[in-house]
Amino acid sequence: MVALKNPGLAGDVAFDTVIYASSGVNYAAVPALAQYTIYDTPDPAYITGRIDISAFAHLGSAPWPFANTNVPLNGHVCVPRGRGPFPLAVFAHGNHSPFQNSTPGYLYLCELLASHGIIAATIDVNFLNGANFGENDARAIVHLEHLKQFRAWNNLGAHPLHAKVELNRILIVGHSRGGEGVGHASFFNHLPAIQPTIFSPIVPLDGSAGLGPYRFGLTAVAAIAPTDRQYEPISGPTVVPDRYFLIHGSRDGDVSTFEGYNTYNRAHAVDLANPTVSDGKLKALLWVYGANHNQFNSAWPSETAPGFAMPRPDQEQIAKVHLGALAGALLLDRSDYMEVLRDHATAVEWVPAGTSFVSQYQDPERLFVQHNQESLAAPQISLPVQGSVVTSAVAAARQLKDLVNAGASQTTITLRLDWSSLGASYQLKVDPATLPAERYKVLSLRVGQSTEPKNPAGRGQDFTIEVSSGSRTAAIRASALHRLLYPDVVFGAGKIVMQTLRLPLRRLEEHGVDLTDLRSIAFRFDQRPAGVVYVGDVQVSH
Amino acid sequence: MPQPPTAIAVEVIVTAPTDADSAAIAHLSATGGKALPKVAYLVKIRLKTMPEPTSQGWALYVKDFRIPKYWEAKDGIYFKVFDRQFFEDHKGERLRFSQNGTEFVDTKLRLAAPRRHGGGKLPRQEEVLK
Repeated sequence: MVALKNPGLAGDVAFDTVIYASSGVNYAAVPALAQYTIYDTPDPAYITGRIDISAFAHLGSAPWPFANTNVPLNGHVCVPRGRGPFPLAVFAHGNHSPFQNSTPGYLYLCELLASHGIIAATIDVNFLNGANFGENDARAIVHLEHLKQFRAWNNLGAHPLHAKVELNRILIVGHSRGGEGVGHASFFNHLPAIQPTIFSPIVPLDGSAGLGPYRFGLTAVAAIAPTDRQYEPISGPTVVPDRYFLIHGSRDGDVSTFEGYNTYNRAHAVDLANPTVSDGKLKALLWVYGANHNQFNSAWPSETAPGFAMPRPDQEQIAKVHLGALAGALLLDRSDYMEVLRDHATAVEWVPAGTSFVSQYQDPERLFVQHNQESLAAPQISLPVQGSVVTSAVAAARQLKDLVNAGASQTTITLRLDWSSLGASYQLKVDPATLPAERYKVLSLRVGQSTEPKNPAGRGQDFTIEVSSGSRTAAIRASALHRLLYPDVVFGAGKIVMQTLRLPLRRLEEHGVDLTDLRSIAFRFDQRPAGVVYVGDVQVSH
Repeated sequence: MPQPPTAIAVEVIVTAPTDADSAAIAHLSATGGKALPKVAYLVKIRLKTMPEPTSQGWALYVKDFRIPKYWEAKDGIYFKVFDRQFFEDHKGERLRFSQNGTEFVDTKLRLAAPRRHGGGKLPRQEEVLK
């Protein structure tokens, strides 16, 4: 394989940055909104209309020179030079002082993506900012309406973006409440109408009343330090239907709950009625030790005290590398960058030295050996794979554990393994006729350690993964795949963020394991005399 | 846990509905089987200090009922009610904040009943929110 280039470095595509905005707003007439006067003089080719979001939101008390019935579509877009068509990425900020323009804070990412041949925009949602709550459906609508604007320009013969936008390659990215918003946008994208709350009338999203139609080909949704469930559809918590990527910092001084993990859990979860059926979508997350909330937006001052979080340039570099890799893999078909999603270690040379990460990845092609979602009863092998669970000196219990201390009620079950003697083991004995491992590429398991006293503070946890077929056994240390980091304990009890360990099945074959006759997958706790780990699932996967 | 907003007063103001409110009132009238008057009740909660506009935020509850959305007003926040029955159903119940739906902070304020409108033209919401 040719060495991958750092996706966080600028590419060689020249681009132009343009401000687009609605006409006639006149921010200049409101001195308190001086930061928005840049939208009074947009590029003449990029004049937009207004939209009515009054069915979703009010505007708070900032002196906006417009009402919620005619909010503007303002933004900055970096347009690669050339014929195109180019994929599209659109960023949205979250909540902040409405008197500070949050929109330019993602230009550093837009410029990066544009230099690689992606039209990249960052949008103005500032009019929803302030001491409002529950408005993230409106953020989603604004985001989708911006996509609609790009579609309109793409279809407009005389426009500079005519036929330049690849409408089936769209990445939407949101930060903070905007990160929750992109999840809702992904959900709303295919709806003909939405009733925002039980008190609201049904709002058409088919264009008949001004909003929509959408039905964009959303390639992926990326959430940076998102909130979760501040807005909740009548149908229940939003389940993101598109590919989902989540990035969050362990020293986030705003969304310190890491509640986006609950969004992640709901996305592309196992369907108990059809456990072998995948919805065909991947999900991945990156937990960044030392990153805070605001430094993902270059316009926001840090919310944490100096020295508490990593330096801003480091955090921006991490965002560039990982969102650059995501965009490269999914928007530009540079499939090698999928490795960064699958395993953050692929990017270790490109990120600031010494930074610790935890990552998870779930491939759309997967077969669960154990997903733990059947019930809180004793752990079992998950159908259609058959077999039994054998423990030796390990207490194994399924729990509705709030791993990240987000405080919200849990619906995802996690397996807790607790041992107190060297050599204890937890074994999944499987009927090889029910586990076609040879069709897959990796054995994938999610494991994380807690701050419980059995885990020495600050020390990585470790054990041996033993995989057997008949008389042949391969034994591989978990730490050879990834460190199982001790939690970064800065807010409350610390968060258990499980690491996906991906063990190539080829490596097992090299140890003589017959994948057509795989009989046992065991966790042998022979590296630490005692400990507690949490296990999300065990899969064979791609 | 971050400090919740300190609420110091609550009042309910009867106002003229906006166009969006009118659509909501029509919807609730149609689905609820009773014709609701064309008024919007603004429940204004005065805060001691306005919270920093961060992402985390605090959901507002009337006892166990979560107010789906609320909005910033001068010196506080407000939400809207279109059916007076809401005040009957939640009469005297405590206003509470929560960040996660499991831990609550009591404001020590109770939902007030709307003042009877004395007749005449209802105030516009922009006026009462100034």
